Amino acid sequence: MSGRACVALALAVVAASGLPPLRAWLEADMARHMLLQFPLLLLAGGLLASALPARLRRCIDACNVHGLSGLFLFLLVSGFWMVPRALDEALLSVWVELAKFGSLLGAGAALQCSWRAAAPIVQAFFLGNWAWMSAAVGLLYQDVTVRLCNVYLLDQQLVAGRGLVVLALVLPLIWVGTLARSGYLGNFLSDDAAVAGRDRPPSCPAEPARPARASRGFQAPGPTDAQRPS
Amino acid sequence: MSVLRTAVALVLVAALGITTFAGMTDGFRAVTSEAARRLAVAARPAVVPDVRLAGADGTIRPLHAALASDRRVALVDFIYTRCDTICSVLGNEFQQLQREIVAQGLQDRVRLITISFDPAHDDPATLALYAIRMKANPALWQFATVADTRELMPLLASFGIVVIPDEMGGFVHNAAIHAITPDGRLARIHGLGEFRQALYEAAGLAPTGEG
Repeated sequence: MSGRACVALALAVVAASGLPPLRAWLEADMARHMLLQFPLLLLAGGLLASALPARLRRCIDACNVHGLSGLFLFLLVSGFWMVPRALDEALLSVWVELAKFGSLLGAGAALQCSWRAAAPIVQAFFLGNWAWMSAAVGLLYQDVTVRLCNVYLLDQQLVAGRGLVVLALVLPLIWVGTLARSGYLGNFLSDDAAVAGRDRPPSCPAEPARPARASRGFQAPGPTDAQRPS
Repeated sequence: MSVLRTAVALVLVAALGITTFAGMTDGFRAVTSEAARRLAVAARPAVVPDVRLAGADGTIRPLHAALASDRRVALVDFIYTRCDTICSVLGNEFQQLQREIVAQGLQDRVRLITISFDPAHDDPATLALYAIRMKANPALWQFATVADTRELMPLLASFGIVVIPDEMGGFVHNAAIHAITPDGRLARIHGLGEFRQALYEAAGLAPTGEG
Protein backbone atom coordinates (compact mmCIF):
# COMPACT_ATOMS: atom_id res chain seq x y z
CA MET A 1 0.00 0.00 0.00
CA SER A 2 1.34 3.45 -0.85
CA GLY A 3 2.06 5.98 1.88
CA ARG A 4 -0.86 8.15 0.91
CA ALA A 5 -3.28 5.25 0.94
CA CYS A 6 -2.02 4.24 4.41
CA VAL A 7 -2.57 7.74 5.77
CA ALA A 8 -6.02 7.96 4.19
CA LEU A 9 -7.03 4.59 5.60
CA ALA A 10 -5.65 5.49 9.04
CA LEU A 11 -7.52 8.80 9.08
CA ALA A 12 -10.69 7.01 8.00
CA VAL A 13 -10.32 4.53 10.88
CA VAL A 14 -9.63 7.32 13.40
CA ALA A 15 -12.60 9.33 12.13
CA ALA A 16 -14.89 6.31 12.20
CA SER A 17 -13.97 5.29 15.73
CA GLY A 18 -13.79 8.88 16.98
CA LEU A 19 -16.90 10.53 15.55
CA PRO A 20 -20.11 10.51 17.57
CA PRO A 21 -22.37 7.74 16.20
CA LEU A 22 -19.84 4.93 16.01
CA ARG A 23 -17.77 6.19 18.91
CA ALA A 24 -20.81 6.14 21.20
CA TRP A 25 -21.58 2.58 20.09
CA LEU A 26 -17.98 1.43 20.54
CA GLU A 27 -17.67 3.01 23.98
CA ALA A 28 -21.11 1.99 25.28
CA ASP A 29 -19.80 -1.49 26.00
CA MET A 30 -16.60 -2.22 27.92
CA ALA A 31 -15.65 -5.15 25.68
CA ARG A 32 -16.22 -3.14 22.47
CA HIS A 33 -14.30 -0.22 23.95
CA MET A 34 -11.24 -2.31 24.88
CA LEU A 35 -11.31 -5.07 22.30
CA LEU A 36 -12.56 -3.23 19.23
CA GLN A 37 -11.90 0.51 19.50
CA PHE A 38 -8.41 0.13 21.03
CA PRO A 39 -7.18 -2.29 18.33
CA LEU A 40 -8.68 -0.04 15.62
CA LEU A 41 -6.72 2.92 16.96
CA LEU A 42 -3.54 0.84 17.29
CA LEU A 43 -4.02 -0.26 13.69
CA ALA A 44 -4.49 3.33 12.53
CA GLY A 45 -1.31 4.30 14.40
CA GLY A 46 0.57 1.51 12.66
CA LEU A 47 -0.70 2.65 9.26
CA LEU A 48 0.38 6.22 9.98
CA ALA A 49 3.84 5.05 11.04
CA SER A 50 4.27 3.02 7.85
CA ALA A 51 3.85 6.26 5.89
CA LEU A 52 6.49 8.18 7.88
CA PRO A 53 9.14 9.95 5.76
CA ALA A 54 12.39 7.99 5.60
CA ARG A 55 14.35 10.76 7.37
CA LEU A 56 12.06 10.79 10.39
CA ARG A 57 12.01 7.03 10.38
CA ARG A 58 15.81 6.95 10.61
CA CYS A 59 15.70 9.38 13.55
CA ILE A 60 13.23 7.13 15.34
CA ASP A 61 15.25 4.01 14.58
CA ALA A 62 18.31 5.67 16.08
CA CYS A 63 16.61 5.80 19.51
CA ASN A 64 14.93 2.46 19.09
CA VAL A 65 17.62 -0.24 18.98
CA HIS A 66 15.99 -3.67 18.71
CA GLY A 67 12.66 -1.83 18.95
CA LEU A 68 13.16 -1.64 22.71
CA SER A 69 11.85 1.91 23.28
CA GLY A 70 8.84 1.43 21.05
CA LEU A 71 7.86 -1.92 22.51
CA PHE A 72 8.25 -0.58 26.04
CA LEU A 73 6.04 2.40 25.15
CA PHE A 74 3.45 0.03 23.68
CA LEU A 75 3.51 -2.12 26.82
CA LEU A 76 2.97 0.87 29.10
CA VAL A 77 0.20 2.40 26.97
CA SER A 78 -1.72 -0.84 26.67
CA GLY A 79 -1.31 -1.47 30.40
CA PHE A 80 -2.48 2.04 31.23
CA TRP A 81 -5.75 1.61 29.32
CA MET A 82 -6.52 -1.51 31.31
CA VAL A 83 -6.77 0.59 34.50
CA PRO A 84 -10.51 0.76 35.23
CA ARG A 85 -10.33 4.37 36.32
CA ALA A 86 -8.68 5.33 33.03
CA LEU A 87 -11.60 3.75 31.16
CA ASP A 88 -14.07 5.70 33.31
CA GLU A 89 -12.21 8.96 32.81
CA ALA A 90 -12.00 8.47 29.03
CA LEU A 91 -15.79 8.58 28.92
CA LEU A 92 -16.19 11.39 31.43
CA SER A 93 -13.43 13.78 30.32
CA VAL A 94 -12.78 15.09 26.82
CA TRP A 95 -9.09 15.60 27.60
CA VAL A 96 -8.60 12.03 28.76
CA GLU A 97 -10.46 10.84 25.67
CA LEU A 98 -8.14 12.89 23.45
CA ALA A 99 -5.14 11.52 25.36
CA LYS A 100 -6.51 8.03 24.81
CA PHE A 101 -6.74 8.52 21.05
CA GLY A 102 -3.28 10.09 20.94
CA SER A 103 -1.59 7.48 23.10
CA LEU A 104 -3.16 4.50 21.31
CA LEU A 105 -2.25 5.93 17.90
CA GLY A 106 1.26 6.50 19.26
CA ALA A 107 1.44 2.97 20.66
CA GLY A 108 0.31 1.52 17.33
CA ALA A 109 2.95 3.58 15.55
CA ALA A 110 5.58 2.51 18.09
CA LEU A 111 4.69 -1.13 17.51
CA GLN A 112 4.97 -0.71 13.74
CA CYS A 113 8.38 0.97 14.11
CA SER A 114 9.68 -1.64 16.53
CA TRP A 115 8.33 -5.09 15.84
CA ARG A 116 10.46 -5.98 12.82
CA ALA A 117 13.52 -4.39 14.37
CA ALA A 118 13.13 -6.65 17.40
CA ALA A 119 14.83 -10.02 17.33
CA PRO A 120 12.59 -12.97 18.21
CA ILE A 121 14.06 -13.11 21.71
CA VAL A 122 13.05 -9.45 22.27
CA GLN A 123 9.65 -10.12 20.71
CA ALA A 124 9.25 -13.09 23.04
CA PHE A 125 10.10 -10.97 26.05
CA PHE A 126 7.63 -8.20 25.23
CA LEU A 127 4.87 -10.45 23.97
CA GLY A 128 5.30 -12.60 27.08
CA ASN A 129 5.06 -9.56 29.33
CA TRP A 130 2.08 -8.22 27.45
CA ALA A 131 0.27 -11.58 27.54
CA TRP A 132 1.00 -12.06 31.23
CA MET A 133 -0.30 -8.58 32.02
CA SER A 134 -3.43 -8.95 29.87
CA ALA A 135 -4.24 -12.37 31.26
CA ALA A 136 -3.83 -11.16 34.84
CA VAL A 137 -6.06 -8.14 34.20
CA GLY A 138 -8.56 -10.30 32.31
CA LEU A 139 -8.77 -12.78 35.18
CA LEU A 140 -9.11 -9.93 37.67
CA TYR A 141 -11.98 -8.42 35.66
CA GLN A 142 -13.75 -11.80 35.90
CA ASP A 143 -12.82 -12.53 39.51
CA VAL A 144 -14.07 -9.45 41.30
CA THR A 145 -17.78 -9.43 42.03
CA VAL A 146 -18.03 -5.63 42.07
CA ARG A 147 -18.00 -3.35 39.07
CA LEU A 148 -14.57 -1.86 38.52
CA CYS A 149 -15.79 0.84 36.14
CA ASN A 150 -18.60 3.13 37.17
CA VAL A 151 -19.61 3.55 33.54
CA TYR A 152 -19.83 -0.17 32.69
CA LEU A 153 -22.00 -3.04 33.79
CA LEU A 154 -20.69 -6.15 35.51
CA ASP A 155 -21.50 -8.53 32.65
CA GLN A 156 -19.59 -6.28 30.21
CA GLN A 157 -16.64 -6.47 32.58
CA LEU A 158 -16.84 -10.28 32.46
CA VAL A 159 -16.89 -10.29 28.64
CA ALA A 160 -13.98 -7.84 28.46
CA GLY A 161 -12.05 -9.98 30.96
CA ARG A 162 -12.63 -13.14 28.94
CA GLY A 163 -11.62 -11.33 25.75
CA LEU A 164 -8.35 -10.17 27.30
CA VAL A 165 -7.52 -13.72 28.43
CA VAL A 166 -8.35 -15.08 24.96
CA LEU A 167 -6.09 -12.44 23.35
CA ALA A 168 -3.34 -13.24 25.84
CA LEU A 169 -3.47 -16.87 24.72
CA VAL A 170 -4.14 -16.45 20.99
CA LEU A 171 -1.61 -13.73 20.09
CA PRO A 172 1.43 -15.61 21.49
CA LEU A 173 0.20 -18.77 19.72
CA ILE A 174 -0.06 -16.90 16.42
CA TRP A 175 3.41 -15.52 17.00
CA VAL A 176 4.84 -18.97 17.68
CA GLY A 177 3.02 -20.18 14.55
CA THR A 178 4.63 -17.48 12.38
CA LEU A 179 8.03 -18.24 13.84
CA ALA A 180 7.56 -21.93 13.10
CA ARG A 181 6.46 -21.21 9.55
CA SER A 182 9.42 -18.94 8.93
CA GLY A 183 11.62 -21.81 10.05
CA TYR A 184 13.05 -19.96 13.02
CA LEU A 185 12.12 -22.70 15.40
CA GLY A 186 13.92 -25.20 13.19
CA ASN A 187 12.67 -28.71 13.63
CA PHE A 188 11.92 -28.40 17.34
CA LEU A 189 8.33 -27.33 17.32
CA SER A 190 7.16 -27.54 13.72
CA ASP A 191 6.38 -31.02 12.40
CA ASP A 192 6.42 -29.70 8.84
CA ALA A 193 9.89 -28.36 9.26
CA ALA A 194 10.97 -31.58 10.93
CA VAL A 195 9.83 -33.62 7.93
CA ALA A 196 10.75 -31.21 5.16
CA GLY A 197 13.91 -29.88 6.69
CA ARG A 198 15.66 -33.14 7.58
CA ASP A 199 18.39 -32.58 5.01
CA ARG A 200 18.46 -28.83 5.39
CA PRO A 201 20.28 -26.72 7.93
CA PRO A 202 18.06 -25.78 10.90
CA SER A 203 17.25 -22.39 9.38
CA CYS A 204 14.82 -22.40 6.50
CA PRO A 205 16.60 -21.31 3.34
CA ALA A 206 13.38 -20.12 1.75
CA GLU A 207 13.55 -16.90 3.78
CA PRO A 208 17.16 -15.95 4.18
CA ALA A 209 16.36 -12.55 5.72
CA ARG A 210 14.68 -13.96 8.82
CA PRO A 211 17.35 -16.37 10.03
CA ALA A 212 20.02 -13.76 9.43
CA ARG A 213 18.18 -11.27 11.64
CA ALA A 214 17.27 -13.99 14.07
CA SER A 215 20.81 -15.11 14.66
CA ARG A 216 21.88 -11.51 15.15
CA GLY A 217 19.34 -11.15 17.93
CA PHE A 218 21.09 -13.71 20.07
CA GLN A 219 24.37 -11.85 20.09
CA ALA A 220 25.19 -9.43 22.82
CA PRO A 221 23.69 -6.06 21.87
CA GLY A 222 26.97 -4.16 22.24
CA PRO A 223 29.01 -5.55 19.31
CA THR A 224 25.93 -5.64 17.08
CA ASP A 225 25.49 -1.93 17.40
CA ALA A 226 29.12 -1.20 17.12
CA GLN A 227 29.03 -2.94 13.75
CA ARG A 228 25.96 -1.13 12.60
CA PRO A 229 26.53 2.35 11.13
CA SER A 230 24.22 4.83 12.81
CA MET B 1 25.43 6.08 19.83
CA SER B 2 22.14 4.35 19.02
CA VAL B 3 22.40 2.29 22.20
CA LEU B 4 22.83 5.45 24.28
CA ARG B 5 19.92 7.17 22.55
CA THR B 6 17.78 4.10 23.07
CA ALA B 7 18.71 4.03 26.76
CA VAL B 8 17.71 7.69 27.07
CA ALA B 9 14.45 7.00 25.22
CA LEU B 10 13.71 4.07 27.55
CA VAL B 11 14.31 6.24 30.62
CA LEU B 12 12.04 8.96 29.19
CA VAL B 13 9.29 6.45 28.40
CA ALA B 14 9.61 4.99 31.90
CA ALA B 15 9.45 8.44 33.51
CA LEU B 16 6.43 9.40 31.43
CA GLY B 17 4.80 6.08 32.26
CA ILE B 18 5.35 6.39 36.00
CA THR B 19 4.07 9.98 36.01
CA THR B 20 0.95 9.10 34.01
CA PHE B 21 0.16 5.97 36.03
CA ALA B 22 0.68 7.87 39.27
CA GLY B 23 -1.56 10.69 38.06
CA MET B 24 -4.38 8.38 37.06
CA THR B 25 -4.18 6.25 40.22
CA ASP B 26 -3.69 9.02 42.82
CA GLY B 27 -0.13 7.92 43.43
CA PHE B 28 -0.75 4.19 42.91
CA ARG B 29 -3.44 4.15 45.61
CA ALA B 30 -6.60 3.81 43.52
CA VAL B 31 -7.13 1.93 40.26
CA THR B 32 -10.90 2.40 40.25
CA SER B 33 -12.94 5.62 40.23
CA GLU B 34 -14.66 4.40 43.38
CA ALA B 35 -11.41 4.05 45.32
CA ALA B 36 -10.25 7.47 44.09
CA ARG B 37 -13.52 9.06 45.17
CA ARG B 38 -13.17 7.64 48.68
CA LEU B 39 -9.66 9.02 49.03
CA ALA B 40 -10.79 12.45 47.82
CA VAL B 41 -13.80 12.55 50.12
CA ALA B 42 -11.83 11.59 53.24
CA ALA B 43 -9.17 14.19 52.41
CA ARG B 44 -11.58 17.05 51.62
CA PRO B 45 -15.16 16.59 52.87
CA ALA B 46 -17.37 18.56 50.45
CA VAL B 47 -20.79 20.08 51.09
CA VAL B 48 -23.58 18.08 49.41
CA PRO B 49 -26.37 19.97 47.59
CA ASP B 50 -29.25 21.16 49.72
CA VAL B 51 -31.99 19.22 47.94
CA ARG B 52 -35.55 18.93 49.24
CA LEU B 53 -36.23 15.41 50.45
CA ALA B 54 -39.68 13.80 50.45
CA GLY B 55 -39.72 11.53 53.48
CA ALA B 56 -41.62 8.27 53.93
CA ASP B 57 -43.58 10.12 56.65
CA GLY B 58 -44.99 12.48 54.00
CA THR B 59 -42.94 15.52 55.03
CA ILE B 60 -40.78 17.56 52.64
CA ARG B 61 -37.62 19.05 54.18
CA PRO B 62 -34.39 20.54 52.86
CA LEU B 63 -31.54 18.09 53.44
CA HIS B 64 -29.27 20.59 55.22
CA ALA B 65 -31.96 21.64 57.68
CA ALA B 66 -32.73 18.00 58.41
CA LEU B 67 -29.06 17.25 59.03
CA ALA B 68 -28.40 20.37 61.13
CA SER B 69 -31.45 19.94 63.35
CA ASP B 70 -30.56 16.35 64.16
CA ARG B 71 -26.89 16.86 65.12
CA ARG B 72 -26.14 13.16 64.59
CA VAL B 73 -23.86 11.92 61.82
CA ALA B 74 -26.02 10.31 59.14
CA LEU B 75 -24.96 7.15 57.34
CA VAL B 76 -26.64 7.40 53.95
CA ASP B 77 -27.20 4.82 51.23
CA PHE B 78 -28.89 5.04 47.82
CA ILE B 79 -31.30 2.37 46.60
CA TYR B 80 -34.53 1.80 44.70
CA THR B 81 -37.15 -0.35 46.38
CA ARG B 82 -37.78 -2.70 43.43
CA CYS B 83 -34.12 -3.72 43.42
CA ASP B 84 -33.49 -7.24 44.66
CA THR B 85 -29.74 -7.49 44.08
CA ILE B 86 -27.24 -5.02 45.46
CA CYS B 87 -29.91 -3.00 47.33
CA SER B 88 -30.88 -6.02 49.42
CA VAL B 89 -27.22 -6.41 50.35
CA LEU B 90 -27.18 -2.73 51.33
CA GLY B 91 -30.50 -3.14 53.17
CA ASN B 92 -29.02 -6.06 55.05
CA GLU B 93 -25.96 -4.01 56.02
CA PHE B 94 -28.18 -1.18 57.23
CA GLN B 95 -30.22 -3.62 59.32
CA GLN B 96 -26.97 -4.80 60.89
CA LEU B 97 -25.94 -1.17 61.37
CA GLN B 98 -29.23 -0.48 63.13
CA ARG B 99 -28.58 -3.40 65.50
CA GLU B 100 -24.97 -2.30 66.07
CA ILE B 101 -25.96 1.30 66.82
CA VAL B 102 -28.24 0.04 69.59
CA ALA B 103 -25.76 -2.57 70.79
CA GLN B 104 -22.97 0.02 71.07
CA GLY B 105 -25.26 2.69 72.53
CA LEU B 106 -24.58 5.14 69.68
CA GLN B 107 -28.24 6.20 69.17
CA ASP B 108 -27.44 9.84 70.01
CA ARG B 109 -24.43 10.03 67.67
CA VAL B 110 -25.24 8.09 64.49
CA ARG B 111 -28.41 7.59 62.47
CA LEU B 112 -29.32 6.05 59.12
CA ILE B 113 -30.93 7.56 56.01
CA THR B 114 -31.87 5.56 52.93
CA ILE B 115 -32.52 7.65 49.80
CA SER B 116 -34.28 6.24 46.75
CA PHE B 117 -33.05 7.37 43.32
CA ASP B 118 -36.29 6.19 41.72
CA PRO B 119 -38.76 8.92 42.72
CA ALA B 120 -41.07 7.97 39.83
CA HIS B 121 -41.87 4.70 41.55
CA ASP B 122 -40.79 5.19 45.17
CA ASP B 123 -43.38 7.66 46.50
CA PRO B 124 -43.66 8.19 50.28
CA ALA B 125 -46.22 5.38 50.65
CA THR B 126 -43.94 2.88 48.85
CA LEU B 127 -41.00 4.02 50.98
CA ALA B 128 -43.07 3.57 54.16
CA LEU B 129 -43.88 -0.01 53.12
CA TYR B 130 -40.21 -0.59 52.36
CA ALA B 131 -39.31 0.74 55.84
CA ILE B 132 -41.68 -1.80 57.39
CA ARG B 133 -40.16 -4.56 55.27
CA MET B 134 -36.71 -3.52 56.52
CA LYS B 135 -37.98 -3.53 60.15
CA ALA B 136 -36.60 0.00 60.46
CA ASN B 137 -36.76 1.79 63.81
CA PRO B 138 -38.11 5.27 62.88
CA ALA B 139 -35.97 6.97 65.53
CA LEU B 140 -32.81 5.56 63.96
CA TRP B 141 -33.53 5.03 60.27
CA GLN B 142 -35.39 7.33 57.91
CA PHE B 143 -36.36 6.82 54.26
CA ALA B 144 -36.72 9.52 51.62
CA THR B 145 -36.45 10.41 47.95
CA VAL B 146 -36.03 13.73 46.15
CA ALA B 147 -39.12 15.95 46.11
CA ASP B 148 -38.05 17.43 42.77
CA THR B 149 -36.69 14.96 40.19
CA ARG B 150 -34.52 17.72 38.69
CA GLU B 151 -32.50 17.71 41.91
CA LEU B 152 -31.74 13.99 41.66
CA MET B 153 -28.78 14.13 39.25
CA PRO B 154 -26.85 16.84 41.17
CA LEU B 155 -27.43 14.91 44.40
CA LEU B 156 -26.22 11.60 42.92
CA ALA B 157 -23.26 13.34 41.29
CA SER B 158 -22.14 14.88 44.57
CA PHE B 159 -22.19 11.44 46.21
CA GLY B 160 -20.50 9.84 43.19
CA ILE B 161 -23.41 7.50 42.62
CA VAL B 162 -23.76 6.44 38.96
CA VAL B 163 -27.12 4.95 38.02
CA ILE B 164 -27.45 3.16 34.66
CA PRO B 165 -30.86 1.83 33.53
CA ASP B 166 -30.59 -1.91 32.80
CA GLU B 167 -32.39 -4.01 30.21
CA MET B 168 -35.13 -5.14 32.63
CA GLY B 169 -36.51 -1.72 33.57
CA GLY B 170 -34.38 -1.55 36.70
CA PHE B 171 -31.06 0.16 37.41
CA VAL B 172 -27.46 -0.80 37.82
CA HIS B 173 -25.71 1.38 40.35
CA ASN B 174 -22.74 1.49 42.68
CA ALA B 175 -23.37 0.97 46.36
CA ALA B 176 -21.63 2.46 49.37
CA ILE B 177 -22.21 3.77 52.86
CA HIS B 178 -21.79 7.55 53.00
CA ALA B 179 -21.17 9.42 56.27
CA ILE B 180 -22.58 12.97 56.30
CA THR B 181 -21.85 15.32 59.16
CA PRO B 182 -24.51 17.71 60.55
CA ASP B 183 -22.92 20.61 58.62
CA GLY B 184 -23.93 18.89 55.38
CA ARG B 185 -20.51 17.56 54.37
CA LEU B 186 -19.81 14.16 52.87
CA ALA B 187 -16.98 13.04 55.13
CA ARG B 188 -16.42 9.32 54.48
CA ILE B 189 -17.38 6.62 52.01
CA HIS B 190 -17.19 2.93 52.83
CA GLY B 191 -17.84 -0.04 50.60
CA LEU B 192 -20.22 -2.91 51.11
CA GLY B 193 -19.04 -5.18 53.89
CA GLU B 194 -17.33 -2.33 55.72
CA PHE B 195 -20.28 -1.27 57.85
CA ARG B 196 -18.45 -1.81 61.15
CA GLN B 197 -15.65 0.50 60.01
CA ALA B 198 -18.25 2.98 58.71
CA LEU B 199 -20.01 3.03 62.08
CA TYR B 200 -16.75 3.35 64.01
CA GLU B 201 -15.62 6.33 61.94
CA ALA B 202 -19.08 7.95 61.95
CA ALA B 203 -19.17 7.77 65.74
CA GLY B 204 -15.76 9.46 65.75
CA LEU B 205 -17.04 12.27 63.48
CA ALA B 206 -20.10 12.96 65.61
CA PRO B 207 -20.15 15.97 67.92
CA THR B 208 -19.68 14.58 71.42
CA GLY B 209 -22.42 16.68 73.06
CA GLU B 210 -20.25 17.85 75.96
CA GLY B 211 -18.07 20.11 73.78
